Amino acid sequence: MSDPITHGRTVATPVQASVDVVIVGSGASGAVVASHLAREGLSVVVLEEGGHYTPEEYGALTPSQSLRRIAREAGLCTAVGVGDTPLIAVMAGKCVGGSSVLTGGVCFRIPDEVLHGWSRDLGLTGMTSDALAPFFEDVEERVHVETVPLTMRSRGTELFVEGAAKLGIPMHSLRRNTHACKGAARCNFGCPNRAKMSVDISYLPDAFAHGARLYSDALVEKIDIAGGVARGVRGRFLDGETGEPRVAFEFRAKLVVVACGSMHTPVLLRRSGLDHKDIGRHLTLHPAFRVGALFDDEVAGWDGALQSVYSDHFLEHDGFTLVGVYSAVNVLSAAFPGVAGHYRKLVREMPRLAIFGGMVHDDGGGRVHRWLSREPLVLYKMIARDKARLMKGIQTVAKMAFAAGAREVMLPIFGMPTVTKPSDLDFLVEHSPSARKVECMAFHPLGSAKMAIDRSGGVVKPTGETWDVDNLIVADGSVLPTSIGVNSQLPIMAVATKIARGLCADWSRYARRAA
Amino acid sequence: MANAAPQSSRSKFSPHVALHVRDYRRTTFGPGHRRVLRAFAEALFYDETAPFAPGQLDALVEDCDDFVSRASKTLRFGLVGILLVMRWLPPFLVRRFSTFEELSLADRVAMLERMDRGAPPLPLLVVAYKTLLAMLFFEAPRELAAMGYPGPERSRWKRALPVAPIENHAP
Repeated sequence: MSDPITHGRTVATPVQASVDVVIVGSGASGAVVASHLAREGLSVVVLEEGGHYTPEEYGALTPSQSLRRIAREAGLCTAVGVGDTPLIAVMAGKCVGGSSVLTGGVCFRIPDEVLHGWSRDLGLTGMTSDALAPFFEDVEERVHVETVPLTMRSRGTELFVEGAAKLGIPMHSLRRNTHACKGAARCNFGCPNRAKMSVDISYLPDAFAHGARLYSDALVEKIDIAGGVARGVRGRFLDGETGEPRVAFEFRAKLVVVACGSMHTPVLLRRSGLDHKDIGRHLTLHPAFRVGALFDDEVAGWDGALQSVYSDHFLEHDGFTLVGVYSAVNVLSAAFPGVAGHYRKLVREMPRLAIFGGMVHDDGGGRVHRWLSREPLVLYKMIARDKARLMKGIQTVAKMAFAAGAREVMLPIFGMPTVTKPSDLDFLVEHSPSARKVECMAFHPLGSAKMAIDRSGGVVKPTGETWDVDNLIVADGSVLPTSIGVNSQLPIMAVATKIARGLCADWSRYARRAA
Repeated sequence: MANAAPQSSRSKFSPHVALHVRDYRRTTFGPGHRRVLRAFAEALFYDETAPFAPGQLDALVEDCDDFVSRASKTLRFGLVGILLVMRWLPPFLVRRFSTFEELSLADRVAMLERMDRGAPPLPLLVVAYKTLLAMLFFEAPRELAAMGYPGPERSRWKRALPVAPIENHAP
């Protein structure tokens, strides 16, 4: 069998082909759909804008080398804050496997109360806990979701748990899609041990085994639509030296599945002529924060699972989740305050650093716009409620750090020196500083082409098909109708599974329409 | 890479991995931008107890250019814009009628501290490049060792390994 992956940047002549299904994007949702449809015996082509790197390749890269190759915008994507809103760094993958290669591997099902809201308030009766359970079970088995054992907790995480216990905050072990994790604590740059079951390791090989093909470095520029039906896609392969579009391709297909993620799906839909009012709106991000804590004893936070515990203690009333986190030490070094000698001295405290973090269950205050380059302009307006959640979340994890015995705490506020006692944290809630001074990041952009039971409420039907164009399916996180408050990888894959199974069951109807 | 001697970023791959090297050859920073960036890096990382190795800052600037050149035109435009703003800020921030790269090291450090503690968007100008440069600067083996990072070897996962029975060879 020939190699199922073609490196687009090596293609010298235009490519044209006809297939049953073309899928735009090879991440958590595109790979799932590809696997299910290929198993059904359909001819499937997956087009991925990013490059292809094997686990052995990306696992051998340093963190910065990894970011510049497998992350969108080399890891420098940002959502621009509108009003009193932080500038939010948004991490997304741009490689074969998409963001699944860059996640911490944390797996949650969608909380029942969120699903209850979807079915009760939005009428999405097929999105209940019971209805989605088989899809979650299927994904969990295929990506080997397991509970992180106590032995894999880093010393930093143990301190996080100790601090929480002293404040009466219950912590729980996380579940992750790993197999034989060795605690390299650099999941966000590609697992060096092939232990994270990202879709390039789990779903895509299955799709290839059933005949699917994939082109990397393939930028889809437009979905071809005729007579209200999607007919295929066209675009250009990216040049290996300049990164600019070069050789053209065109794939005719009976079904087009868009799975570019919440920041790029709206751009492609708009560029293809769709004009639904909700395309690009209602983006949620789960703004995340982290607090650094310096201890007297060595922590060596790099030894252990990147993420292994969480607490939903504050989710219902205060709207934030606490999560144990870490990252590569050179990336963490930017979190230390100050410049010059003072800064360098603090960085040398790295072995005594633990990181405590959390994320806000936010409202849909984001918007994705097409603008000057291929990358979208993402604007985000944080509502007052979410800003209060953010400040209380920061204060809470900082208090946990002190409770765990930290001697100094570094708040994610620009220009703020380290604080040395819990009472120094009161200002966060009592005299809330400008949110524009808060260092914030996001890993779960969702909801920019949301699902609804009628056209006035959203961009796609509960089946994933767009209301405006037949045989055009959106299967990624952009269809989730609201923020979910937990890590989104597993929910995206479960919803993609549901959509994919629906496509298989209804294939004859889609094929008839395409004829 | 911010190493003792300037070197191409391509040499940072682990030698046993046969990568399809697809490095983009485009660049972002012109000579003027590089001078501002180098002056910024020198002030940001200056520490009298840990002097820079020969060529370290030049290699850092080169690596930073390679990094940001992967990004989109708009983002690169924004990053270049920040350097231009930084270049012409001294008269307004530290009352020196010179460009940033011509300031003394002490004045550059003072200016960065002032920006870091200032009102938005001034801190963002510092943070944008501090994030980038710190990631690249502290990735060098020399700097990792200086901060006490032991390398990729991990031990915690071994705690879950089964313990092999010890055979009794006693006579």
